[in-house]
Parts: sequence; C-alpha cells; structure tokens
Amino acid sequence: MGIHSITVTVNGAKERLDVPSNMTLLQMLRDKLGLTGTKNGCSAGECGACTVLVDGEPVNSCLMLAVEADGRQVTTVEGLAHDGQLSALQEAIIEHNAVQCGFCTPGMLISAHALLERAPRPTEQQIREALVGNLCRCTGYLRIIEAVQTAAKKGGA
Amino acid sequence: MLARPALPSFDYVRANNPDEVVRLLQEHGAAAKLLMGGTDLFVRMRDGVIRPQIVVDVKHLPGMRAIEYDEGAGLTVGAAVTMNQLARHPQVQTHYPLLAEAANSVASYQVRNRATLGGNLCNASPAADTAPAVLVLEGRLVLHNPQGEREVAARDFFTGPGQTAMRENEFLKAVRLPPPPEGSAGKYLKLGRNKVGDLSIVGVAVFAFPDGTKPSGYVFRIGLASVAPVPLRAWEAEEVLATHSPGEETFALAAEKAMEAATPIDDVRASAAYRKVMVRALTRRGLERVWEALE
Amino acid sequence: MAELTSNPVGKNTPRVDAYEKVTGTAIFTDDLPFGPGLYYGRLVRSPHAHALIKSIDISKALEVPGVKAVVTGQDFDTRIGLYLVDRPVFAKDRVRYVGDPVAGVVATSEDIAEEAAKLVEVEYEELPAVFDPVEAAQPDAPLLHPDLGEYKVANFIFPEPGTNISEHFRLRKGDVEAAWPRCAAIVEDTFRLPHIQHVPLEPHVAVALWEPSNQVTLWTSSQSPFAQRDLIAQSMGIPHGNLRVISPYVGGGFGGKAGVSMEVYAVAMARAVKGHPVKLRMTREEEFIGTTVRQALVAHTKIGCDAEGNLLAMETEYYFSGGAYNDYGVNIVRAAGYSCTGPYYIPNVKGDSYCVYTNMPIGSAMRGFGMPEIHWGIEQIMDQLAEKIGMDPAEFRRRNCVKTGDIILTGMKMPAIDLVACIDKVTKAINWGKKEPPSAPHKKRGKGIAIMWKAPAMPPNPGSSAIVRFNEDATVNVEIGAQELGQGAFTVVAQMAAEVLGVPYEWVRVSAPVDTKYSPYEWQTVASRITWSTGNAVKAAAEDARQQILALVAKHWNEDPANLDIKDGIVISYKSEREQPLKDMVIYGLPNENFEGWKGGPIVGHGKFMPTYVTNLDFETGQGPRAVVHYTVGAQAVDLEVDTETGQVEILKIASAYDVGKAINPDLVLAQIEGGAVHGMSSAFEALKFDERGRPLNPNLVDYRIATAADAPREIHGDIVETPLEDGPWGARGVGEHVMVQTAPAIANAIYNAIGVRFNDLPLSAEKIFMALQ
Ligand SMILES: Cc1cc2nc3c(=O)[nH]c(=O)nc-3n(C[C@H](O)[C@H](O)[C@H](O)COP(=O)(O)OP(=O)(O)OC[C@H]3O[C@@H](n4cnc5c(N)ncnc54)[C@H](O)[C@@H]3O)c2cc1C
Ligand code: FES
Ligand code: FES
Repeated sequence: MGIHSITVTVNGAKERLDVPSNMTLLQMLRDKLGLTGTKNGCSAGECGACTVLVDGEPVNSCLMLAVEADGRQVTTVEGLAHDGQLSALQEAIIEHNAVQCGFCTPGMLISAHALLERAPRPTEQQIREALVGNLCRCTGYLRIIEAVQTAAKKGGA
Repeated sequence: MLARPALPSFDYVRANNPDEVVRLLQEHGAAAKLLMGGTDLFVRMRDGVIRPQIVVDVKHLPGMRAIEYDEGAGLTVGAAVTMNQLARHPQVQTHYPLLAEAANSVASYQVRNRATLGGNLCNASPAADTAPAVLVLEGRLVLHNPQGEREVAARDFFTGPGQTAMRENEFLKAVRLPPPPEGSAGKYLKLGRNKVGDLSIVGVAVFAFPDGTKPSGYVFRIGLASVAPVPLRAWEAEEVLATHSPGEETFALAAEKAMEAATPIDDVRASAAYRKVMVRALTRRGLERVWEALE
Repeated sequence: MAELTSNPVGKNTPRVDAYEKVTGTAIFTDDLPFGPGLYYGRLVRSPHAHALIKSIDISKALEVPGVKAVVTGQDFDTRIGLYLVDRPVFAKDRVRYVGDPVAGVVATSEDIAEEAAKLVEVEYEELPAVFDPVEAAQPDAPLLHPDLGEYKVANFIFPEPGTNISEHFRLRKGDVEAAWPRCAAIVEDTFRLPHIQHVPLEPHVAVALWEPSNQVTLWTSSQSPFAQRDLIAQSMGIPHGNLRVISPYVGGGFGGKAGVSMEVYAVAMARAVKGHPVKLRMTREEEFIGTTVRQALVAHTKIGCDAEGNLLAMETEYYFSGGAYNDYGVNIVRAAGYSCTGPYYIPNVKGDSYCVYTNMPIGSAMRGFGMPEIHWGIEQIMDQLAEKIGMDPAEFRRRNCVKTGDIILTGMKMPAIDLVACIDKVTKAINWGKKEPPSAPHKKRGKGIAIMWKAPAMPPNPGSSAIVRFNEDATVNVEIGAQELGQGAFTVVAQMAAEVLGVPYEWVRVSAPVDTKYSPYEWQTVASRITWSTGNAVKAAAEDARQQILALVAKHWNEDPANLDIKDGIVISYKSEREQPLKDMVIYGLPNENFEGWKGGPIVGHGKFMPTYVTNLDFETGQGPRAVVHYTVGAQAVDLEVDTETGQVEILKIASAYDVGKAINPDLVLAQIEGGAVHGMSSAFEALKFDERGRPLNPNLVDYRIATAADAPREIHGDIVETPLEDGPWGARGVGEHVMVQTAPAIANAIYNAIGVRFNDLPLSAEKIFMALQ
C-alpha cells in the first residue's frame, strides 16, 4: 500500500507526515498527531463527532483520507481556544450547560463555529439545520441551539 | 455481515489529467475506483461491498470543480462540484433553484462539503436526491473516454441500482443543463424518517413552465427518487398535465399517474405500499406549490 | 479573579468538567496512549441466531503475520453475569444470537485482527430459534439454556429450569376476581415494544493488560468499574486486589455501559498475550448488536375503575424478550413486576412479569430499567378508562396517582412525594384543556399527558463511599467511585462537599479518572442513585473532615466546637470572633503555644452510605415491608401535530415536572429533563429490526435514526418539585432516568387526541400512523 508524504497545517502548525493511503484524516489527527479531541462515533459520516474544519469548512474527518489533506489547513476543537482564552461559542456552551457527556461536543463546536463564520446572525432554523449532522444523545439539542444564539449575539464564533 | 472498523488497504492515486484516469481504468478494470467526495465510496468500502486495489482521486482534474453559466448554453457543473458549492452558487440559485434545493436536501452540511453532484449521479442509488432534479431539468452527462467525450441524457444514464450507462473506461466530467425555460418554477420534496438529513423514503421533483404549444398551456415534468430501481420520470403524469388544464383535479389525476409509475420495494426504511401513496401525496403537494409559483 | 461561590447547594454552579469538554482535552478511554506495544482485538461473531458449534479451526488465522493469539470458548471454562451467571466468556458449544462472540483475534493492528478474524472457520449446526418472548415462554419452545438450573443466581431471582424463563416475578394483592364485577369500565389490551439501543455517542471500548506477574488492568468506558472488577475477577479467577479497573470520562451510558458486556473479552484476549495491552473497540455497527439493547416487551394488561373513576383492579402479564443472556435483564423484569401498576394506587393487583430467553441480542439496563416499557401500555389504558367514564385524563390521574403514605402494591408505605403537584405543573405549562389550531389544514393537533414512577432497582444493599482530602492551600479533593457520564455527578458532589466544609465551590476538585485501585468503593453508576447514595457518602465524608477541623481549632482556641463554624474557608468562632484560615492548617496542623509541639495533621474525611432497610419480597405474592428505597415521580405533557397526508408527527412542546426532593443544582436537573424529553421522544420512533432468521437489518445510524437538532421540539418546559426525601442529602433523590419514562405514551395519548387512533405497538413510524388513518 502506498505511503504518502504530506504537508498539512493543523491548528496553525505546519506538519510533515507520512501517511498510508487508507488512513483517514480522523486517524491521522488522533493516532499520528495525538489530537484526540476529535472523536470517532461511527466511521461512517453519520454522527458528526469527527467533524473538523478543512480550509475553514466542516467535513467528516472519518470520510476523508489523510492524503487528501495534503497542502491544506485543518482546524480541530483543540484549535478553537487561543492562549487559554475560550471562544465565545465555547463559553456559551459552558454557560448554557449545553454539554453533558461531552463526546459530541468537539464536533458540535466545529459545526457551530463554521455556521457563525458563514452566517453571523443565524435564525433558529438555520442553526438546527447546520447541526443536523452532529448527533447528541444527551442534551436534547435546545441548549446547544441557545448557546449558538448567545455566541452570535456576543459577536460570533 | 458488519462493517469493518476502518478502510481496507488500497493505493491512492491523485490523477492530474483525464488520460491518466482512462489509462488506470483500462489497466485495472474493476479493481480501480474513482474518488471524488468519497461519501459513497468509502462507506461502501468499509461495509465490505467493494474492495478496490486502487483509488483514483479525480476531483483535481481541470474543470472538475467549476461551475459555468452561459445564457445561451446553460449551466455546466464539473462532476466534482460539491453540494454546498452548488447550493450557494448565485447563478444556480437564480436560474436553477430546483437544483440548489435538491443539493441542499442531501445529508448534513458537513457531508455536503464533500459529497459531489457527480458522485451522487455516478453512484446511481435509486435514492439519489439530485437525480430527480437533473432528470426534470433535462440534464446531460458529459463522459470522458479514450475517444474523447460523449454526452448521455440523464434519462438514459441510470440503468439499475448502482448501474449506469457509463462504460468501464469512461468517467463523468461534468453535468450540463440547458438554459431554464422562461417563467419556470420547480420544487423538490423529500420524505425521510427525520425532518432533515435522512435518505429519501420518497423524493419528488416537479418542474414546470408555460408552453403555448401544449393543450394545457404548460409543460410539467416530474422526477422520482427512491421508488423504483432507478430514479425516473413520471411520463404519464406529465402527459396528463400537458393535456388537462392545471388545477386540483388535474393534479390529483397526475399524482395518481405518478404513483402508478412507481415500482418500489419493501425495505427497512418503508414498505412499497407506503412509498407508492407517498409518491401520490408528495407529487400533488409539489404540483400545488409549483403552480402557486407559476401563477 | 473569578467569583467564588459560598454555600453552593441549590445553586447553578458551573459543571466541573465543562472546560475540559469544550476544549477537547477531556480524556475518554479511546484517547489514552499505550505506545507501540499496544495490540488490537477483534471478535468473531456468530452468523446464526441459534446453533451448535461443531468445530472451530483457528489455524489459518494464526498464520497471518501480525496475529499474536486467537482465543475461543475452549480456553475459558467459566461464565459471567451480574444477577444470573449465564454468559460464557466465549460461546463454547452453542451460539444464541446473531453476533454471539465465538472467538477473539489479537494482532498488532486492528486491520490485521479484522482480516484474520475472517479466517477463523467455525462449523455450526443450526437449531430452531425463537424470537418472540411469548412463544419462547411456551413449554415446547426451543430451549436456549438447558443448564439453567446449574447457573449461580442472586437469592431474589427465580429462574425456571427446563424452560426459557429466567425470572418470574409474581405480585398478588387483594382479590382481582372479586373486583372486576364492581368496575364500571374495564380496558384490556396487548402492547408491544421493539428492541431499541442506547446509542451513546461513544461506542464501547476497553483496553486490558495482563502482566506476567498476573496483575491485570482494564481501562474501560464504564458506568460500573467496581462491578466490572467484581464480575470479571470472579469469572476469570483473578483476586480482586490484582484487578484494577480505570475508567475515564464516559461518552454517554444510558445503562448500556452498566455491568459487563464486551469488556470481559478484552481481558480474556489480554491473558493470551501477557505484557501487551489489548484494545477492543466496538464499531457503531457492533454497538447495536454486540453490546446490549433494551429488551422488547409484550404486555397483556387489564385495568378497571368504578364510575367515579377510582381504580379498582389490575391484572397484567409482562413478557420481556431478554435475549440470549439475561444476567442483568432478570432484575429489570423483577423491577417491572414490583412496580407493575405504574404510579397508581390500585387495591387489587395480579401481576406476572417474565424474563424470557430469546435468540436476540442481550437485553440489559437502559435508562428507565423496565419502566418506559410498562408505562407504554399503562398510560394509554389510563386515558382510555378516563374517556370511558367521561373524566378528564389529568383529573383521572390526580385522583388515582400514588400519594405519600399509600400502602402500595408490594405492601410498602409510599415515602413522601408529590405527584399531583407535578401533574398541576405540566397541565399549566401545556395549556391543558385548550384545543389549539393546527398550522395547516392537512394537519391535526393534539395534547397528551402521562405520569410515571421509578425506584432505583438494585440489590438491597448497594454501597457508596467517599473520601474528602485537603491540599495545603485548603483546596479539596473529593474521591468517589461514581462515574461522570454527563449527568453531572462530579459537579453535584463538589457542591455537596463545599457546602458541608464551608469552602467555596471553586476550591473543590473531583479526583478522576475513577480507578478501583485508589477510588473508594461504589456499586455502580446506575439507577439514578448517585446524587442520593454517593451524595450521602460525600456528605458524611465532608462532615467527618469538618468535625476533625472544628475539634482541632476548638482545642487550639480552648473553645467549645459548637461555637465554631467554617465560612469561605475560614474557621470562625461566633463567641470569640476569632478567625483561622484553613490554608496550611489542614495539612500541617496548628502549633502549640510557643511552638511547644504541634497538634492535628492532614485532614482526611471518610464517609459511606448503604441502605439497610430493604427487605426481600415473598416469592408467591411479591409482598414485603420495604421493596425499594424510594420512588421518584413525575409528569409529562405533549403538544403535537400529525400530518394526515404523510403520517409524520411533529412534537411542538414537551412539558415535564419531576419531584426531585431537592435540586442540588437546578439547572443540571433541567438539563436532565430536557435531554430526557428528547431521548424519550426519539425512543418512540426507534426500533431495531431483524429478519425472520434473527439477523439485524439496521445496526447502523443510516437506518437506526435518532432525533437530530431539527427534530427536537420547538420548546421543552421543565418544572422542579421539591418534596424532601427522608434519607436524601438535603432531601435529594435521583432524576436521571425518569425523564424519558413516560414520553412515548404521552406522545401516543396526544396522537389519539389529534386523530382519534390508538397505537398499541411502538415505534410510531409515519408509515404506521398514515396507514392507520386510511
Ligand atoms: C451520512 C451520509 C448521508 C447521506 N445522505 C444522502 C442523502 O440524503 N441523499 C443522497 O442522495 N445521498 C446521500 N448520501 C450519499 C452521498 O453523500 C451522495 O451520493 C454523494 O453525492 C456522493 O458523492 P461523492 O462525491 O462523495 O461520491 P464518491 O463516493 O466519491 O463516488 C461515488 C461513486 O461514483 C464513482 N465515481 C466517483 N467519481 C466518478 C467520476 N468522475 N466518474 C465516474 N464515477 C465516479 C465512485 O467510484 C463511487 O462508486 C449520504 C452519504 C452519507 C455518508
Ligand atoms: S465518526 Fe465521522 S461522522 Fe461519525
Ligand atoms: S453531550 Fe453526550 S452526546 Fe452530546
């Protein structure tokens, strides 16, 4: 099986990695870079726990190959806070008690972050539709939706 | 029986020109699979349905991710254009809102960032959500092959579940849609188990525009997904709408005909019987909505 | 400086685990690093629902480069189980469901293990299978466990050897036959629920290391680290002290990670490759059929009332489909038996609750533990009775629901609760009695109500313990063996400790991960018992530490400890108005005058709690002085619309109210109530489906759909009622499971209100509703 030498920027840091053809971006982040914030809930594009930003847009990292990330910018949940300062969205999730077990939270944050980037003042329906690919079994979603609204009011992601 | 934990081994090749793709297809036959967004390919590989030795990434070929609109020629969508790219493209929104609506109905936002129009059509699932729209917009699929290019009408493209008119040494380069007729309107209605994001139990696209040559004064086209081995047009229903003046009764009759055109199966998502009556319900609803927009 | 919170009990303090969870730094089991020596396991599973194993050939698998071991049932002469020890570690002579593990392959990568697993050749001889619990309970049904009589079993579980019945609970109260003629209205019907799955976002994962010295460590995503230690130690013959279970954060449990399921396979495989940790993780597909599911149920129920609407009699038979192994499931069925009336006072009751082996996935604990299953029928019958005698369904429930001091079905006196207040709250929140217009002509709108009860279902004596330790700066570490599943356990124990110790909430840390080597004992994080039981232990531990501090300072000041208090981390005297900060003294103690010696030392408080008053119940009648520790009660009301052209249901609003005794953290209670309402709503539309040979048709998220952000109701209203529980910390009782128990029947009652059709069987698919309308 082919091994590919790739260069990828992850949370602002440039990385050089050798990845086998069948390695997913999710496996690369977790197993090669130790960025275990991004979760695997299904390996099939259904649950959204693996959602990361690639060139600013959310994708299911379980359905993308690591080699496809060559030359691109990847942002994971670990890249949302800066110098220990939480993003408005992270703060809002805490404030609304919109996290329980926390397994969906990294992917949820990434999807919501991307939404606020493209639609800074989303409607409730827009928020719901933007989060359809992120399953949560614990919270019932409403607090997450409210948290996104709060972050939007405070000026974005 | 159950899916594997991860993808089986294969060799990834990033294709840089169309001839390389053709060569790889000829060389490896069924052992080579083409990759665009991978949202069907990787799922099927993990499920153990297919096990290619070589995966050829074709989305970086020239033109594959371009959307071009020309008033005379219509729309050309590169095969690897993603659903989100399509749904938010201003000219697609203006001139082909039905296509944007169908693209937007697929899966979730993050899947739509990878899922492509071409992949949806090439995968040829009966449930492909963009197929009914491409059918009623009378799209043509541009196939690249060793001889150059050929075009196949969408209506001739789907030949069975997962089967298309593409030959072994061909691949999809683009989808062409003719310019939208004056005064047209369209609607895609999808019934799933969740409100948003599920695969279709039934998908119905309705597209219509005024046409003085028809007895009814209108052309209506109806495309159906998830209710037959292939996505299809409801020709008899369209005939009813061409010959009867638009209104409640005609719509009911056309919906009945659309239902008759459906030959669904029972599966884990729904029974054939329910699917059939839902074709009728969604067709009528679609006709009413489109008619409102036309008036 | 962040604000400090004094006296946090009853306040909405922020979750202690939130920062880690929003930054991706919270560690779950699959996130732990093990280095290059890590091996991976994969299981070989039965393709048949019921078959004899004729032979297993592992030779081809062993030849695969990278394969380190292949283990089968031949390697383990042992079974495992919580209440009924009925599950072989690998199927030995017989497989009992599609997915039953017959072998485990250990290799250097998951991929190699997967490939090699396909090369294990198993020869089967198929046997007739049985899937329906009523059929399986018949004398001539194919027998799943011919050796049932030899299995070890808890003294309150009663299997019937020679049949598929693994538990039969009998409840006999009053005289039902004499009561029926006095009824003005009787409803009798059969209700069915399919198997559903917990669908935690984190699939099961376990890593086991069996060291050459026979020390064994198991890292798992578990609600029950101690129960796992106990059961695996017993089953695998490991001294308890040699087995260490470490459990980091759990990515959702809902009962599915209670007891032992796949974890024992990791340990079994690790034994074959001593010195190497072995990781076993379930794919989402395996999670559906290879861990546990909620049991399916067939309920035949008959209930009658008089013309004034007083319930007089109930007769019911519950046939639970326990699946292939019922080690945990038997107690669900027992709980369904001793709570078989639902939250109602009924003077005459005859109940029979059966757990029946079927060739289905393993039925086990799931949020509600038998209660969502039995309330599905009961709560619909109550509506029908109310309609028959012309009474409002909410009023009917107010009249008949259990009240403080009632002698309930088992003969136990009902501890203090206020279910009527819950009904009042939800009817108000939903505008009960007001018919509201649908949003479109082809839609119909309706409202429904349902109430519930649930007791923690467990052995009579499950214990909790806690340790409270101070650090030099007077910050506090609370050590518990209870687990944080997302419900907020760590947060409420921190609140309780701070409250008792008189330190700000922000000074308290909860030691994690739970580690059986260091954490104090906890039975299991199940049954909504942690706030109550562990809470009591934490409170006791903090009180112990507090007494040590006050005694020391009192001695130092030569004052009566009764005059001292601790406020914001400072010991104060109400008499002398002296002050002594806790900082330093809680570790180093206090010097005597002129430093002529020292007194005190590091402060460590211990506490425990175990209910001591629960009694066994009579085998013939289910009667006894104290069946359970207590009940939590609640009500829900639903407002919805049905699309008559498609059968689709849209839930507009769910209003819930629960009597939690005391809300230690009100916002966390509301978070449970909201999350549970959506879980309950989703469960009404879920079903695992099987073909006629017992093979699963939808073991994946493509075709097993759960509610998404778009499906969640527009509004969820939550109310908290607080009738203190006698032996609860600050009066608190649990509320984790209750929040979804009655949602499905509340929805069914609202659908009936909207379209006039009743559904006896879940799920409430759009197709079923549409077809019923034709
Ligand atoms: C979670 C999830 C939800 C989904 N929901 C929906 C839904 O609601 N509606 C829906 O319609 N679909 C859905 N899908 C399916 C899928 O996303 C779509 O069909 C998508 O459009 C496929 O595009 P792709 O680019 O990912 O295709 P790929 O997976 O890359 O390719 C699809 C197939 O086409 C072949 N192929 C690729 N490129 C070419 C080419 N240029 N020429 C010829 N053959 C080619 C591949 O070999 C493969 O067989 C879902 C998928 C997932 C994972
Ligand atoms: S792990 Fe990628 S979507 Fe579930
Ligand atoms: S918080 Fe547990 S899945 Fe979302």
